[in-house]
Amino acid sequence: MRILLVEDDALLGDGIRAGLKLADYAVDWVRDGAAARLALLDHDYQACVLDLGLPKRDGLSVLKELRGRGSQLPVLILTARDTSADKIAGLDSGADDYLTKPFDLPELQARLRALIRRAGGAATPTLTHAGLVLDPASKRVTRDGQAISLSAREYALLLDLLRHKKHIRSRRQIEESLYAWGEETGSNTVEVHIHNLRRKLGADFIRTVRGLGYRLSDDA
Amino acid sequence: MGSGRPRARLQSLRWRLLGTVCIAALLGLVISGVLSYGQAQHEAEELMDGHLTQSARLLLALVHDNDDYLAELAKRLATVSNEQAHPYEQSLEFQIGRADGSLLLRSAHAPDTPLSSEPGYRVIEHDGHPWRMLTLAASTAGHSDYHVQVGQSIALRDRAALEVAGQAVLPIALISPLLLLLLYFSVRRGLKPLDDLAADVASRSPENLGPLASVDAPLEAQPLLAALNRLLGRLRDTLSNERRFTADAAHELRTPLAAVRIQAQVAQLSKDAKDRQHALTQILASSDRATRVLEQLLRLARLDPLAGLPSPEEIDLAALAQQVLADGEEYRERSASTEASEGCAIRLEADASPLSLLLPFSPLLLRGDAELLAIALRNLLDNALRHTPPGSTITVFARRQGNALALGVADDGPGVAPADLPRLVERFYRGRDAHGEGSGLGLAIVQRVAELHNACLQLENLDGGGFTAYLRWPLPPAVKVAVPGALPLM
Repeated sequence: MRILLVEDDALLGDGIRAGLKLADYAVDWVRDGAAARLALLDHDYQACVLDLGLPKRDGLSVLKELRGRGSQLPVLILTARDTSADKIAGLDSGADDYLTKPFDLPELQARLRALIRRAGGAATPTLTHAGLVLDPASKRVTRDGQAISLSAREYALLLDLLRHKKHIRSRRQIEESLYAWGEETGSNTVEVHIHNLRRKLGADFIRTVRGLGYRLSDDA
Repeated sequence: MGSGRPRARLQSLRWRLLGTVCIAALLGLVISGVLSYGQAQHEAEELMDGHLTQSARLLLALVHDNDDYLAELAKRLATVSNEQAHPYEQSLEFQIGRADGSLLLRSAHAPDTPLSSEPGYRVIEHDGHPWRMLTLAASTAGHSDYHVQVGQSIALRDRAALEVAGQAVLPIALISPLLLLLLYFSVRRGLKPLDDLAADVASRSPENLGPLASVDAPLEAQPLLAALNRLLGRLRDTLSNERRFTADAAHELRTPLAAVRIQAQVAQLSKDAKDRQHALTQILASSDRATRVLEQLLRLARLDPLAGLPSPEEIDLAALAQQVLADGEEYRERSASTEASEGCAIRLEADASPLSLLLPFSPLLLRGDAELLAIALRNLLDNALRHTPPGSTITVFARRQGNALALGVADDGPGVAPADLPRLVERFYRGRDAHGEGSGLGLAIVQRVAELHNACLQLENLDGGGFTAYLRWPLPPAVKVAVPGALPLM
């Protein structure tokens, strides 16, 4: 799960990034509107956390441009002004949700989970496949009632595949989803994580589509 | 309440207007009443005198020297005077005689004044009452001379005159209350637009500072209305400025507080000791930031109401700059430590910006507040440190610059976008490209300190790149800086 964080304040941005990392998101952090625009053009994010008061380019104009392009990206805006006019302007410009500063980290995490879930068209909070149940809120994975212990990257990879059940995910797409800018990606790290997942979930749980990428096996 | 009311009436425009108009109207009525009364009475007197004359002439025409005739005439006249048919007809009292004074004929109640008296009107006492008498003499050819005297009781005359005059005054007396009532309602009606205006103002909520509607206000009230609307406009501006300031201040405080909260929760949730340590450091930095914003807000709040310097003293600008530079080093070390813990190597070099001090040999003396000037200079230094890239040179200076004294800071950084320059002193204004690290109040405080010192704050991009911000005191032409002694700051 890769998220774009747009926040100009160094201390707050650092805190949000650390908090989202704790929830196993890969976080790209930019500090002004112009950089946010470029990042949104270049990369495929699962969600965006957008501060409204930004240097160079106002948060609302970034949001409007994004929606103007027809993007469905879930956007949560942060505002330090608690007048309803600001919230209304944000929501009307295409935001999906908002939080007023100061806010709770667990609330931010929960709202992002809900936004991402709804964007995927799912109403239920858990993801299931072939007897396997993944609960994004508690980050617990069970199979036929048995808890399965996964590393953070393995969990993120499994989540990505479950969210795109019907699609083949290329190695490039998986890397994009797993790693933020500047994070080390070895040449075969995705293969290593796939290997580990197969070891824990069964060799045929994830199929390799030669030359294209990976997908989950058909639901048995 | 009971004692307050009469005073309120006196001050009320309506009651004052009503009072003066009514008094004027009453005065007019009384004067016209008195005049018509007098006039009517006078006319009545004239009329009755006319009757007296007519009666006397009639008697003169009737009388001639024959005893039988005179006896017959006396009988007839007696019956005439006994029948009173008209309310104003009075019994005719008369004496008729010859010019030598011998009496020929007289009525029953006629006053017995001698007939020989001079012709004309006269007032005499008769039966204890005043009477008005007319004596006429006739000397027509072929007749002997006769004297006729007719009289009327003045009391009777007065009663008749009074009645006539009373009839003249009565309508005025009857009209007065009606007129007063009419006046009362006219004044009320005339002042109604003012009442409406007052009601409009009174019924307003404190938030409603929109202009007062002026369509049906009278011409005389328009200047007042315009002045009120101007005042309302200024109030509106002030209030919206205050609101913006409050909202901005809330924003400035919320951001570091949000950071404190988030970082605290990160510290709680982190399993990694290094992450936890980092989060705790960030909490400290955030609370420092919040403290700084608060301090600047308080400083500005204290400076704002000042009309002048509380206790100006003689200050050497050079010594002041030296002092602030020492604090600057301290500040630099503090910021260096937080930046270092963030693990940003390039920033560390920024803190190695050489700080230099340009001082003249002679002291630069003026009267001012050392503490406030130090705060201003520190703010300028903070700004320079914050907005210059690594390796920049920052210069603190106190010097004579042409025909002025200057105290400030210059750097060789990127300067400020020309569009931002005029707005830099606005509270909470940050340049379009700036990140929100400062309180946004620094230059507003410097500006205020400059105002209190009769200096102006100069913000300029330097020709060769870089930026300078300084307080500038124009010097009176005759004064030499090198001469010891304070500069007059007027």
